[in-house]
Amino acid sequence: MGGNGKIGVFFCLEGTDTPPELNLEEVARYARNLESVVRVEVMGTRPRLDPETLAPDLKRAGIETVVVAGDSPGHFKQAFVRALALNGANPEEVRLASFREHGTVPGKLTERAKAIVACAVRDVPFGLAAVPKPVPVHPVTVVIGGGIAGIQASLEIADAGQKVILVEKSGTIGGHMAMFDKTFPTLDCAACILTPKMVAVAQHSMIDLMTYSEVQEIAGSSGAFRVKILKKARYVDPDACVACHACRDVCPISIPSEFDSGITTRKAIYMPFPQAVPNSYLIDAESCTYILSDGKKCGACLTKCAKDGIHLDEKDTVVEVEAGNIVVATGYDIFDASRIERYGYGTLPNVLTALEFERLTNASGPTGGTIVLKSKKYNKRKKAEEWVFDAEGPRPKSVVIIHCVGSRDARYNPYCSRVCCMYSLKFAHLVREKLPDAACYEFYIDMRAFGKGYEDFFERIKHEQVFVVRGRSAKVTEKDGGMVVKGEDILNDRLMELPVDMVILSVGLQPVADVESLARMFGIARDRDGWLTEMDYNLDPTATERGGIFLAGVCQGPKDIPDTVAQASAVAARILRSILSGKGQGSRADLTLEEIDARSRELAAR
Amino acid sequence: MAIRANPRLIEELELYGAEDVSKCYHCGNCSAVCPFSRDPFLFPRKSMRYLQMGLEEKLKGNLDPWLCYYCGECSDECPRDAEPGETMMSLRRWLTSQYDFTGISRLFYRSWKIESAAILLVAALTGLGFWLFGSSVGSLGVYDGPGAFFPSSAIHKFDWALGFLLAGLLLVNCARMWWFSIGRDPKLRIPVSAYVRRLFLLPFHFFTQDRYRQCEKKRPWAIHLVLMLSYLTMLVLIMFFLHLVQSGPEIDWRVHAFGYLATAGLLGTTAFALYGRIRKTETHYKHSHESDWIFLILLGYVAGTGIVQHVLHRAGLNTAANITYLAHMMGVVPMLGLEVPFSKWAHLAYRPLAMYFSALQEEAMEARGRASEETARLRAA
Repeated sequence: MGGNGKIGVFFCLEGTDTPPELNLEEVARYARNLESVVRVEVMGTRPRLDPETLAPDLKRAGIETVVVAGDSPGHFKQAFVRALALNGANPEEVRLASFREHGTVPGKLTERAKAIVACAVRDVPFGLAAVPKPVPVHPVTVVIGGGIAGIQASLEIADAGQKVILVEKSGTIGGHMAMFDKTFPTLDCAACILTPKMVAVAQHSMIDLMTYSEVQEIAGSSGAFRVKILKKARYVDPDACVACHACRDVCPISIPSEFDSGITTRKAIYMPFPQAVPNSYLIDAESCTYILSDGKKCGACLTKCAKDGIHLDEKDTVVEVEAGNIVVATGYDIFDASRIERYGYGTLPNVLTALEFERLTNASGPTGGTIVLKSKKYNKRKKAEEWVFDAEGPRPKSVVIIHCVGSRDARYNPYCSRVCCMYSLKFAHLVREKLPDAACYEFYIDMRAFGKGYEDFFERIKHEQVFVVRGRSAKVTEKDGGMVVKGEDILNDRLMELPVDMVILSVGLQPVADVESLARMFGIARDRDGWLTEMDYNLDPTATERGGIFLAGVCQGPKDIPDTVAQASAVAARILRSILSGKGQGSRADLTLEEIDARSRELAAR
Repeated sequence: MAIRANPRLIEELELYGAEDVSKCYHCGNCSAVCPFSRDPFLFPRKSMRYLQMGLEEKLKGNLDPWLCYYCGECSDECPRDAEPGETMMSLRRWLTSQYDFTGISRLFYRSWKIESAAILLVAALTGLGFWLFGSSVGSLGVYDGPGAFFPSSAIHKFDWALGFLLAGLLLVNCARMWWFSIGRDPKLRIPVSAYVRRLFLLPFHFFTQDRYRQCEKKRPWAIHLVLMLSYLTMLVLIMFFLHLVQSGPEIDWRVHAFGYLATAGLLGTTAFALYGRIRKTETHYKHSHESDWIFLILLGYVAGTGIVQHVLHRAGLNTAANITYLAHMMGVVPMLGLEVPFSKWAHLAYRPLAMYFSALQEEAMEARGRASEETARLRAA
């Protein structure tokens, strides 16, 4: 330890996300009683620190070591470094006690903050002092979420010979990736690389696939969880169903297709998409006339099923399984673009979200992959005109892609969603490729082409005559039957008012709607943006404070497919380690202040 | 030309009411939603940029703030809560202080204490001067006619003297505004004919506030127009018909009809603005600089004492009416004398001037663009 040993603890808050249950005064009182601490000060939110005034202050108190505590103390470090240097003390002696990095345990924020401060005062890395005890571990793993993250993690673990139960909420695995047309920057066909993995899951002897099921409750403790899973009634026996589509053809109910992001319809008895796994029909109880009328009406599909596979009296069941580890791979929702009225989504027919365009340009989409404008058609059943995509419809002559819709915006989601720049560039490429006569504009704020090969891709689309305009457009208005997009072309110092045919909104990612109840069920915290929190942002991005529960994919924060796959494989490695060694990870959340305190004293004494 | 940057410019502007300028990340949202932002005057983002870069000289010649009417759309739509609308408002205050050659405006905007002290001082001097004058020419019990405490003919002369003084101060500042935005720029060559041709813009914008009307929200324009017309009516009544206004006790409807209307307009709009600023009802009322409060309080005070004086005189309480008259003058003189050249009221000249100058700038820029195109064409040929 450097200096004279006298330590000052200064609390400086960033302020944007200080949870109300964190009692800073109590932490400060605790810090005052720590050894060597001569001064504790709560500097408040975003203090303006001046090294020139701090220096004499520190000198008077004889402080040569400073602990900066707060949610992001690194923001305030520099002032103290300079103050110490001005005093002729060792400027290295500024330590950070970061609540955000180690501090998010639901319900125990104040206790955790105390432990973090104590470790910083003793110059012991928190990660070393707060090591949970190993626990015996049950060999079965439950994976929650059947997107690419869940699929990858399940396959990795199962391929190693360990049992996996994969629980998926919807009727098929595949998640968002199954909806995509191409992946960036390689322009691989998403379905072509995903479907073999989906089939592998279905056929794997070590994977129990439970689609149309939801985890309801997680009891037990790390290494020995008891997981309650609700198996919703599918009303169609997947073993009997041969996907002959006879039932679909007679079903009178049409509702927007989730898989096609609402640009086509599906029936109440449906298969999510042709390559669904399991490749079987199911019935949406919320729109089926027979089920809604308690068997009094309809029932048309019953007579058509040659295999007698439809059981409209099927009931939901709950199963309980034991598991040693749980992988949370619950994914994300996309931002609701209709919240930004100025973009006209929902009122102007040819303003699309990214996911809608993804389905439109997909070869399995409603137009077979032809990019067309919506055209008005008369719907005989509804007796009204409606806007639909028709493969013979008019082709757009100009397409505008607007970046950062709902992202990097204090009013909606303040964070960068990370994938939108790249998928927008991919869209631009697809537009130019499929419609060589159409002009394509990208309105962006900053181009975040950060990954391997991404910058190359950006350069490539610039050479494909895509007009890349720096400046996010703010307005889409209707004019003479067409649309006008208004935006500032910042680099050319002019205002653009472009007449366009189609607008694609690059909507961001956000936590799933029920993330709060999910987090409560898992017993893990959420960060200020709502994503589930990992154990350590830098060094342990897959584990959580709750031992045995791991995170994979976007549920932890926005990321693209390669990163998601990498994280899922990393989770599998962690889980296999615990199973093979027989030592599961205990919960750091369960460690008491006294335990961490004692351990940090022990380490400091060495 | 070397460009000198002032790294403390944002901090300086914070004294004029700006907040969060450094939050801006230049997405251009504000310029795109603004109904006024168009080539070549793109704002408010560009002004935010100049501020972040500390380009003080560039901002001095920037007319954009005067072209903005603070409808608040930009602030409402700003993804960073960087308050571009309030920044434009602060820039107007800052520009007012830059145009002012005396430096008094700078003092007022940066310290409400100095502004208040100056107002109180001028009020006290006014009170003392008028009291001595009144006692020497008449008696406190007489309101009008021979022996009046404040004979309308004398007040009339005083009004005109004050008017000339203020107009003179304002004219010098206007000349500085011209110099910063047009005069010193060697690239802007504007023929005299253009100055004459566009001169109509000055009275047009002054009387109609047509540009304000083009905001998406119409109410602020309507309120501002009522306020401005009420003032103008009052000004005309006082400058030209004071003898009729002051005589009594019977009501001379030829002038008082206008007087009552104007008073109602003044009181109504002042009350509306006060309520708005206290309750923060609209985006442009969310942030109030100290000078805004001082201005509104003065306005309310002057209107209030004016009414009381009028009523007292009609009620035959001439002594009380004269004392209220004195109190009224103690509000009017600092309000006009300090606010018109040095503070918020200066915008009555700067706004129409900015429309005029920007039209000239635009014309010159277009001419230059055409000329360079021509040269390029000739060269190519």
